[in-house]
Amino acid sequence: MKRFVGMWLVIGAVLVGLVGLFAAFYALAALGAQAAVALGFPGFFGSSIVNAITLMAVTLMTVAALLTVAERKWSAAMQDRIGANRILVGGKFPLGGVPYLLADALKMLTKESTFPVARSKFLFELAPVLAFSPTFALFAVVPVGPEVRVLGQQVGMWVASPDAGLLWVFALAGLSVYGTTLAGWASNSRVGMLGAVRASAQMISYEVSLGMSLVGVMIAYKTVNLQAMAIAQGVDVIGPIPAIGLLLQPLGFLVFFTSSFAETKRAPFDLPEGESEIVGYFLEYSGMKFGLLFLAEFVEVVILGAITAAVFLGGWHPIFFEGWLKAHLDPVLFGAVCAAAFLAKVIFLTWLQLIIRWLLPRFRYDQIQALCWKLLLPGAIVNVFVTGAAVLADPSLELLAWIGVVEIVAIFGITLAVARPKGAHAGHDAGDAHGHAAHAAGH
Amino acid sequence: MAKDTDPSPLDAAPVESPLDAPFPSKRMLVNLGPSHPAMHGTVRAVVELDGETIHGMKLDIGFLHRGFEKSCENVTWTQVFPYTDRLNYVSSILNNVGYAMVVEKLCGLEIPDRAKYLRTITSEMHRMCDHFTLIGAMGLELGAMTVLIYAMEARDLLWDRLTELCGARLTSNYARVGGVSRDLPEGWVEKVERTLDHSVAMRNEIDKLLTRNRIVMDRCRGTGVISRADAIDYGFTGPCLRATGEPYDVRKASPYLVYDRVEFDIPVGTNGDNFDRYLIRIEELKQSERIVRQCFAQMEPGAITSDDPRFVLPPKPEVYGTIEGAMAHFKIIMEGILVPPGEAYSYVEAANGELGFYAVSDGGGRPYKLGVRAPGWNMLMALPQIMEGQMLADLIPTFDTVNMIGGEVEQ
Repeated sequence: MKRFVGMWLVIGAVLVGLVGLFAAFYALAALGAQAAVALGFPGFFGSSIVNAITLMAVTLMTVAALLTVAERKWSAAMQDRIGANRILVGGKFPLGGVPYLLADALKMLTKESTFPVARSKFLFELAPVLAFSPTFALFAVVPVGPEVRVLGQQVGMWVASPDAGLLWVFALAGLSVYGTTLAGWASNSRVGMLGAVRASAQMISYEVSLGMSLVGVMIAYKTVNLQAMAIAQGVDVIGPIPAIGLLLQPLGFLVFFTSSFAETKRAPFDLPEGESEIVGYFLEYSGMKFGLLFLAEFVEVVILGAITAAVFLGGWHPIFFEGWLKAHLDPVLFGAVCAAAFLAKVIFLTWLQLIIRWLLPRFRYDQIQALCWKLLLPGAIVNVFVTGAAVLADPSLELLAWIGVVEIVAIFGITLAVARPKGAHAGHDAGDAHGHAAHAAGH
Repeated sequence: MAKDTDPSPLDAAPVESPLDAPFPSKRMLVNLGPSHPAMHGTVRAVVELDGETIHGMKLDIGFLHRGFEKSCENVTWTQVFPYTDRLNYVSSILNNVGYAMVVEKLCGLEIPDRAKYLRTITSEMHRMCDHFTLIGAMGLELGAMTVLIYAMEARDLLWDRLTELCGARLTSNYARVGGVSRDLPEGWVEKVERTLDHSVAMRNEIDKLLTRNRIVMDRCRGTGVISRADAIDYGFTGPCLRATGEPYDVRKASPYLVYDRVEFDIPVGTNGDNFDRYLIRIEELKQSERIVRQCFAQMEPGAITSDDPRFVLPPKPEVYGTIEGAMAHFKIIMEGILVPPGEAYSYVEAANGELGFYAVSDGGGRPYKLGVRAPGWNMLMALPQIMEGQMLADLIPTFDTVNMIGGEVEQ
């Protein structure tokens, strides 16, 4: 009981802290905008530069780095272990393993860099950069908070809001495959090569279903701009329920979430790494080059969580008590609450990814392709047509929302139907027929 | 061994029309091991890959060769026991018992009932340890590391109980010629029963995580298949043979110790694939637990070693108190027990299958010759055939489910 209360206290404190943090970020962005105006540029130049620092360099990197620790601690919790607790601050406090963040970074930075002699020198150096930077840049278009007026300036909590929003996401997500592939190829190692080939096949295939799964969302919200999408998700559709992506596009959500998993190359899609089979495309890397490849994976987890939250979980809308909050809070504070709600959603999604990563075994190469081309892609295409027809029939989206409700009920129904009956022993032939439906629902 | 530079077959697809561009592809030799996360112990597999498909595989074993058989010829019969611990190091008592039985067969020695029960109990507990290790490792090979940790928890609790009994976690050295080394400590039975309850909980947890898991089913069904006829030809025994449908278990086929007095079933598979091997091991965990509990109920107090002074050390008070005792002790320790001349083969059901010991005695204090039939050997030799045409990713779990134990196979 004490721990339970403590847990909620910590979560509450974190949320309050996030609100404070984002209020400060808004203020900083406004200062940046003022400076830009003073220098004769449009205001958003300044706020974007400030946001690039506060959101990408501070928030994203901190969350990604904390995630390395969180993964260790959470996997330990799932496996009845204690996890990282050997670094004691002041000789006494393990602080939940957070100091490992520094220790890990220090280790990576000071480790000896070893190279295979027969590597392709330039590409070998280039690969970690290519793996890390496109992933990192994805975050630029993610709208963290709404646009509010601070210190006389309109500032938004995003680095850039290009009209091509989602297309930017596809373009850059497509680039990150080069880093992985080149890492395996340039290190001139056969297992590295195998990992690289697996990675390229997997990532390029899943790119297709990743893109297709978002077409439905684009149709529903009639935009590809993520900020516009976030605003559209605040509109009520069935009674007081807002038109969040999860409600309108449950199938799209499942396909997107699964595909994004494959893009992050984490279990159950971690065959490019496959630590028990081929050790992976980064086999020959050491020191901070390995660190970059390693961190890229975690950054990817956070970013795909962020995009999922932005597109499917209502963006920065806090959803609960939104109207009350908007009416009673100062606009800046409301913006900060929204941004904190967004980050909370991202953290929830990364946590979900951690659970799945430690729960499920790995697919095989051909199964992963079958899942993509035979299940996810057709599902996404059907979703596109259904969405298109529904939006055409009823532009108010209400019909689409009801279709979404039916889909959610169906998915839950299928999952429950194929769930193991209590006490029954699993026969070899039982449960063959349900195919991948349960599996997709599991995601 | 084919080298990389050898004229590798350029597997150009047959050109069917002039428009087909021949695309020569080369097969790739990949070295897995000897130090590789998937290779238990140290064994090397040289795999010839066409894409991800295995075309030809060579196994290179011997990195763990210790000269077991030769070493045994240089020590007395009783000093062999610690060496047998290192055969299948996950379930050492099964090896101890197997070796003790061949010596007893040569000596014509009958062991007391309680010793039989103790041997059965500890053997079955070690069988559970072995199966837990294997199932956990299979989870690890498939990428489900959580399963490994759960299995390790169950296994280590069982090992803890055996440590209380034998004094060592891994190298138990528990059996003796004519009986066992120690009786049960006080309160041990209740503790073991609690541990068994816990292991049942862990087993159910693993069962829930894996057995109906879609990915596990996809990965394990129909991979690593060997037919019943092939399995018999290769000399498979144990869970791998039973997975193909052949209900052969030494404990039933030729009962030893007290296996004829306890009730248990022999699970049999149908397909001989990885999934069947996994299911059989889950089921055998249940059966082993059943045997242990029955033994606890049936066991009665009594002597734990035979009292034949030719083969068994005299009790300590006699050693320290009487000249005869001291001399008998000295003779047995220094000279070794004098096993009557002859040869014998004795076999038990170890965790991987039939573990046979073949011993020849010339009447002296040391084995003249000792041979081991390691169950893992036959399974390992079949691996290249099993894996032909399958995918690289399937090699790893198959390597696990046939359960090659370096210490045993390479001796």
